[in-house]
Amino acid sequence: MMQPSTSNFPTIFSITETELDLNDLLAQVTLTSTGAAAIFAGMVRGVTERGEPHETEYLEYESYVPMAEAKMKQVADEIRGKWSVVEGIAIVQRIGRLYPKTPTVLIICTAAHRDTGVFDAARYGIDRLKEIVPVWKKEVGPGGGEWVEGDYTPKPGE
Amino acid sequence: MSFDLYNTALGIALDKGILMNHIKLLFFATIRDRAGTKSLELDVPQDLTVQGLKDKLSTDFPNLKESMSSVLITINREYAFDDAIISQNAEIGMFPPVSGG
Repeated sequence: MMQPSTSNFPTIFSITETELDLNDLLAQVTLTSTGAAAIFAGMVRGVTERGEPHETEYLEYESYVPMAEAKMKQVADEIRGKWSVVEGIAIVQRIGRLYPKTPTVLIICTAAHRDTGVFDAARYGIDRLKEIVPVWKKEVGPGGGEWVEGDYTPKPGE
Repeated sequence: MSFDLYNTALGIALDKGILMNHIKLLFFATIRDRAGTKSLELDVPQDLTVQGLKDKLSTDFPNLKESMSSVLITINREYAFDDAIISQNAEIGMFPPVSGG
């Protein structure tokens, strides 16, 4: 039986200022052995109901780019360590000024089948990105702008 | 600390034979806003720790003092903690907990 070797598995990680192209990204992480892709997309929410209800005009994203890309690679390596069935991985964060409904982040994990843990792998990817990848957003609404701060403190070795 | 004062301090350090490391600081998000600059180059004592750097910045930039309890610090793009010694030519990142996605 033909099994693609891990070294042939595509891993894509980048910070970009250009529009995210889901079809292109999905094609890049789809192999002939792939039968399932779990995709997480995050977008700018214009109206927030949860917590303190408020409206958002736009988000202004910035990043410590070389470190962010290195940490995305680390997240991909962690995914491969936990789910060896995962074939392709794409982790892409868009930065700059982004308006409601605009996709800001895409995480894709592909595998041969859907019951392999591939959903969990994509979930892990976005959760870890929000913990250790140096990206920040300033939320601008009718009342002015405010930096959103996360609540995770990385531990030694992360 | 003003540039002149800083150079004086550096001069005294050099006179006393204290060896200095040249480092580059990069500030992001709230830290950049409060520092009023994106980056800064400094000469610091060779045995300076991350905690020592935080103390120094709290003194030199009173606006940053409040941020120093929750700031994340990186040395050469890896997270670093209070006891870590800052190496020669280190690239130091300083920022609040991340909020990407």
